[in-house]
This record gives sequence, C-alpha cells and structure tokens, in this order.
Amino acid sequence: MNAIYDVVIIGGGMSGLMAAAALVQKGRKVALISKGDPVCCFSTGCIDLLADGDDPLQGIGSLPDNHPYRLVGEDAVVRSLELFREIISEGGLPYVGDVHVNRGVLTSLGRCKTTCLVPETMKFSDFDSDEYIHVISFYKMKDFYPQYITSRYTNAGHSVFDPGVITTAGIAEKFENKPFLESFISWMKGLDIPEGRIALPAVLGRSRAGDVYREVSAGCGRKIFEIPTLPPSMPGLRLFGGLKKALLRRGVNLYWGKGIYSVEKLGNRIEAVTLDSAGRTTRVEGRAFILATGSFVSGGLQASMDSVTETVFDLPAYLPGGRESWFNDDFFAPGHEIEKAGIRVDASFRPVDTEIENLCVCGSILAFSEVMKYRCGHGMAIATGVAAAEACGRLV
Amino acid sequence: MIRTDVIIIGGGSTGCGIARDLALRGIPHCLIEKGDFAAGATGACHGLLHSGGRYVVNDPEAAAECIAENMILRRIGRKCVEQTGGLFVRLPGDSKRFRDLFLKGCEEIGIVTEELSPSRALDLVPKLNPSLEEAIRVPDCSIDPFRLCMLNIISSQKRGGQILTHHRVIEIIREHGRCVGVKAREEATSEVKEIRGKVIINATGAWGDQVAHLAGGSVPITLSKGSLVVTNHRITNMVINRLRPSADGDIVVPNEAVCLAGTTSIAVTDPDRIGVDPAEVDIIATQAQEMLPDFGTTRLIRTYAGVRPLLKADGEDGRAISRGFRIIDHQDGLFSILGGKLTTYRLMAEKMTDSIMGVFGLKTKCKTAEHPLEGQEELRGYPLSSRLKSLEGIVCECELVTADVVERVAGQIGTRHIGDIQHRTRLGMGPCQGGFCTYRALGIMQEMGKMTPDESMRVLREFLQRRFKGIKPALWGDQLREEQLIEYIYLGILNMEQEQ
Repeated sequence: MNAIYDVVIIGGGMSGLMAAAALVQKGRKVALISKGDPVCCFSTGCIDLLADGDDPLQGIGSLPDNHPYRLVGEDAVVRSLELFREIISEGGLPYVGDVHVNRGVLTSLGRCKTTCLVPETMKFSDFDSDEYIHVISFYKMKDFYPQYITSRYTNAGHSVFDPGVITTAGIAEKFENKPFLESFISWMKGLDIPEGRIALPAVLGRSRAGDVYREVSAGCGRKIFEIPTLPPSMPGLRLFGGLKKALLRRGVNLYWGKGIYSVEKLGNRIEAVTLDSAGRTTRVEGRAFILATGSFVSGGLQASMDSVTETVFDLPAYLPGGRESWFNDDFFAPGHEIEKAGIRVDASFRPVDTEIENLCVCGSILAFSEVMKYRCGHGMAIATGVAAAEACGRLV
Repeated sequence: MIRTDVIIIGGGSTGCGIARDLALRGIPHCLIEKGDFAAGATGACHGLLHSGGRYVVNDPEAAAECIAENMILRRIGRKCVEQTGGLFVRLPGDSKRFRDLFLKGCEEIGIVTEELSPSRALDLVPKLNPSLEEAIRVPDCSIDPFRLCMLNIISSQKRGGQILTHHRVIEIIREHGRCVGVKAREEATSEVKEIRGKVIINATGAWGDQVAHLAGGSVPITLSKGSLVVTNHRITNMVINRLRPSADGDIVVPNEAVCLAGTTSIAVTDPDRIGVDPAEVDIIATQAQEMLPDFGTTRLIRTYAGVRPLLKADGEDGRAISRGFRIIDHQDGLFSILGGKLTTYRLMAEKMTDSIMGVFGLKTKCKTAEHPLEGQEELRGYPLSSRLKSLEGIVCECELVTADVVERVAGQIGTRHIGDIQHRTRLGMGPCQGGFCTYRALGIMQEMGKMTPDESMRVLREFLQRRFKGIKPALWGDQLREEQLIEYIYLGILNMEQEQ
C-alpha cells in the first residue's frame, strides 16, 4: 500500500519535528521518517539560540554570512520560536523565557550554561550567586554528585533523599507514582532549609513532569528548579516526547524506527523512499522532501579517512580541508573546523551543486551551522526547520 | 629513611619482575616508580606474548628467548595470559621465499607450526581476508601487561618488598664514588624520601639514560616510538600477523573485549613527548584492513604510542635492531638493564638478579619459572567473572564496574589518580572510554573525601584532554560520531570550561 504525501521529512530531531509542525499547520499532508529516537533526547531540554551577548537575536546579524541563521532572518526566527512554544505547551510542560534575553541554567558540574527558553521546571534556575542554594540529591544516584555544585558556591547546602533506585529514568518514573511523590514532599517539608532556592537533578517525572513540578513546588512552597543531567536526561526526553505527541495529534504520519532503504528518482525529482522495516518494505511517496538527518552524531553525515558523505541522498557535502585540520588540539577550544561540514543550501534551503529540485535541507546537517561554537543547537534547528518547511511548501 | 638491599627504579614489567625474583630469593628490596605500574612501554605495547615467529627470520636469538618464555608464562600466569593462538597470514603478493625461511627458522628454534589452507584458516578466524593464500598457526598468546605487573608485585609485597608508586627518583646519592641510595619525591605531597641500598637497578626502559645521568653515567639505548589503535570489539579471537618481513601495522591482537592493531617504528628522542600522528593511524588501519577487511568499518576507540628502549646499534633502523637485552654494570653499585621485550621480562629479571647475587655472596637459584604467579585467584574487581557476580550499582556500563568496587579500590590503595582506579578495575577501558563513568567515579571519590571537588574538576579536565588526544588521530567514521556526543555532553550539557 502506497501513501502519497505533500512533503516527506526524513529525520525525527528538532528540525524535522518543527518542519512537520509548520507544514501541518498550513494544511499539508506530512510524513516524518526517523530511524530512531533522535540525539536531541540527550539534550538539556533548553532552547539555546545563540550564546554570545545578552540578546541572542541581536547576535544573529553578526554571524558569518553563510551561517544558516542568516538565511532565516530575525523575524522568521521569532515566528518559528512562537510556533515551538505553542506546540510544546500542549503537552503540559510550557517553556518560559524571552527570545530577546539570554539566561543561565545551572549544570550538573555547577557551571552556568547560557540558554534562552527553558522548560517550566527550570524557570528559577537563573539564581543570583549570593542567594542561598540548597541541592537535593538522591542516594547513590549514579549521574548526579552534589559536591560538583555546592563546592562552587559559598552559600550552599545539600540533603540526600533515598528513592530506592539509582538511575535517572528509574527515579523519574517513581515521581509519577502518587504515594512516592507524597512521601518526597513530606520529607522536603521536614527539612530545615534556609531561605533561598532549591535545586534538584531533573528527575521530576517524565511525561507528567509539569504536574509533578507544580505539586512539589506547591507542596513545599519554595522556588524549586531542575538541573539537567548526563544522558539519558529527562528534559531532553520530555521535550522530544512532547513534540512527537503533539504532531501525532495534528495528523502527521510518523514512520518510527525505520531507516531509508532506497531512494527513487525520476529525472530531477525524488519520487519516493523505501523504508527498511521488518518483514516487508514500505514505500513512501512525496511531492517534496525535507532532509533533516542531523550532523555526524545523528548519522546524517558520515566521515571516512579523507571525505564526508551525506547518508540518504548522497548529496555533495562541504568539507573543511583535510583530516589534520578537522579538529583543534584542545578538547575545550570552541569550534572545531569539522563543525562546518555539511550541506550547502541556497536561499530556499535547496542543496546547491545538485540537480534535485524537490528537496530542502534543515538543521545541523547544514554546512557552517557550527552549533557547538555558537551554542545555537535547538534554536538553529527550530528556525531552519520552520523556514525550510515554508520554502518546501512553496515547491508543492 | 628506608634501608634495603636492592633499590629497583622502574615499575614496568622488568622492574616488577626483578622485585618478584628478589622476593623469591629472599633479598630485601624497594621498588620506586614515578607513575603507576606499567606506565611506560609495558602498558603501551600490543599485549602480545610472542611465540617468537615475528623474529625468527631476522633475530633468531630473540625468537628462541620468546618461545621459551612463552611456554613458561602460559604455565605460571594463567590468569593474565589468554591462549589465543596466532596465525601468520600470507596474502596475494607476499613472498613465498619469506614463508620458506619462516618455516625453516621455526623448525630450527622449536616453534610448533601448522600450515593451514585458506578455508581452514577462515574456519578459525572467519573475518580474515578471504583471498588469503595460506596461514601458519603459531603459539602466540595475548597477555595483560598491567595485570602481569600487579601479580609480580603481590609476590614482592607478601615477602616484605617495599613498593613506592607515584614517587619520582630525583637524585642518586653517591658516597666515595659509589651509588648508595636515592632520593625520591612523592608526587601528591612533594615529600622527599631517602632510600639506601647496596645495589641500585635502573629498569626504567626508555627513561634509562635519564636515570643513568643522575649517577653521572649513560646507557646505549635508542628510542623507537610504536603506535597502536584499539577497536571497540574483537574482530578476531586469534593473534593475526602478516607473513612477511616486519613492517608497520602487521599485527592485530585480541585483548579482553577489544583488538589492538599496530605498530609503527619511528625514532624519537624524548620519551615524555610522544604522540600518534594521523598518518600512522592511516597506515595501521589500512594494513590491518588488508588482513581483516572488517577493520575498515569497525569503530576505533583510542590510539596510543609507546617507546621501545632498543639497544643502540649505529646505522640501523628501529625494525632491524635486535629485541635482545643487555645488562650494564656501571661498576659503582648501579646496574642498568636495557632492551628486551614484554615476552622476555621474566628472563631479563632472572639474568639481572643473577648478576647481582655476587654482591650479597649468595648462590640462591632463580625460582620465578617454577612457581605460578601468586594472587591470581584473589585479584578482585578485575576479572570479568567476578564483575558478573554483582550487577547492582554499576557505574561503568561498558566493563560492568560497580560503585562498590570503585569505593573499595579507592579506599584500599588510597589513590588520587583516576588512572589507578581504571587499571585496577577496568573502569573506562571499554567502548565509551570513560566518557560517562569518569564523571561518576570522580563524584564517588569526592563523596568519600578522597578528592576535593576542585581536584576532581582538574582531573576530569585532564582526563578529557587525554582522551581526546588519544582519539584525535583517528577521528572519522563511528569514532567521530562518538566524539561529537562526548563534546555535546561535556561542553554542551555540562558546559565545562577551559582551564582558567
């Protein structure tokens, strides 16, 4: 059985999901194909726009001309973020923040990370360093060690709760259980914590995190916030799970857990892709396609000893010099050259140096996106995802 | 001040072997090592217990020593030797004449060989290049160098041997023209200790000349760097050698859960300043792929380099120099032991110890070849069998190391080095190369009060730099994906900072 879609999106990360959202909003018939849960599940769940300066949007104008943000433009970036907030809040965990203001969130190493929009559970994360901070940790939790944080602040304390399990996901699951939640809240009430804020690792539930957070906050009447942890981290899973659910409700057809087996072309057009599924093959036909398969880490790009290839359509990929120039010597030096690798596109997000007419590209697979250098990962993905969807919509 | 009979400088396989030999002959001794055990060439080699085949054509003397020691070590060190067996494979274009010389040499020395047809060889190692011409089976084994050192040290400690790791010898004390002791500085506290003895043995491998200089002497060694790459799983369960004259990248050794491929041979001058060049990795990967085609698509997890302390011979390149060893009596109470191989470490220790027996007027015979290494059953936390017994509270998912094991080892040896924990538990040695568990292990050590949070941040930073340096020459394919993930975690999620 074949289905014909207006647009077929390949890649279930942030940019692919947002492209789907933008297209269904315009009444398009959309399919989204993902070979598995995306790398954005590993993220902090925060939306980084651009780390430099107080106003991230202002910084976009000073990025290099070939940066994907420059193709989108400030107004379209703002619109895309509005769409993101609208969709994500449907799942009960709204995002807070002002797109014109960068803010800090506390990390599991006690560092302050610059981001812009944060889930409600982190809304009190931008605390003043003079303010007292009390860290709640969990007995033997293997991915959270409060000393990394308390040692950085002169005015800090910590208490330990024993949840009976040691993994992030295990503790988060317990928080969705009513008696457990109540026993935790009553334990919190019994603590003698000085005036200030309370931080705890991001374990306050998974799909019901908004409710859990509000119950804990109301229960102890304090300003509480979550700290993102090492993967698998809850905020990333919640963000991605929330978007996926919202898209399903809006009628996007999801092909999950399936890679692309083959591509059918007719002349300069891609006609269909065949999916690698158990027992049979599924052919997905579309009038236009969006490639949102991410960078190396997500498998959209693949490097050999001396070249880089795009893994679905074999598009020509930009490569910054030979292998010896791909990485800096210092792990901590921001911006390795290899981050510039990817697919170059024109103003309509269509790949250059190829004959294919009905394909747009978005997200971190775009050349020159340099998400680690500019700390613009999710923001750039949302903005280019929506912009590429609009451009692609014009093609069909 | 510590008084003893013999001072051993160097905690590689040679130094540890000498400590055990002295212990079994009842001679008091003290071993001083600037880092952890096996920190030099011992821990940076292939982990190959040679059958001798590799040297049989060009260096039959070294080959004969190898096969003799191979047979002894598989008997006395069952828990650190894996009897994998090895193959020498001849690919299209490789010389038949070399094969004839190889077989003749093996027969003369007594290395048992078996000629295998391509299909028989493929039965044994299915991932071999199917176009191979033939294979010759030899008794190669893989050996765990770190564990070997630890086991030798157990014999020493049981008999009162004093072991000082993380102590750097800064001075050799001379009185009336003789070396009578050393001063060693403890790394963590900077405390300087004086150790006095009748004989000082310089078993520092590539650092041999530096140590000899402390006593005003020198030793004729030449340094040759060899680089290796590590795969994330085993692609062969037997040692695979290329049947041709020694060249770069012609050996792949299975070790624990991974394979080690190498090596190269590049002359260097400073053993503390070595790194792996991307070009070396390309050579090793390309050569290994000729023998095992899957090597090209297997994720590499690390590269590393060691320095071979070879006996100096003018005008010869590193590959042609004998793998034999030599003992130098500096005639002032200092002895240096040079050259050799991991495979012959026990023999080297025996000869070294024999040559100082006269100083003590003793004739006790060497016993190290007869008695099995002690403590093989008790080495807890390390063998997979004991790791599988308790799967609760795992912090290192790749190697199944639990929080309890980390706490016990950190408590026992009182260490402040993450490397010491890694060596003794295998934490961080698996496919993620400590990407996740190092943060956890350091968090546990903070909670135990072994480390301040500031210290642990410094250690974590150093660890990540070292880890990056190890994989950087091989960053393509799946290893590049993994590297991007680690970067996202530490620089993105945790927002770790550059050193201030």
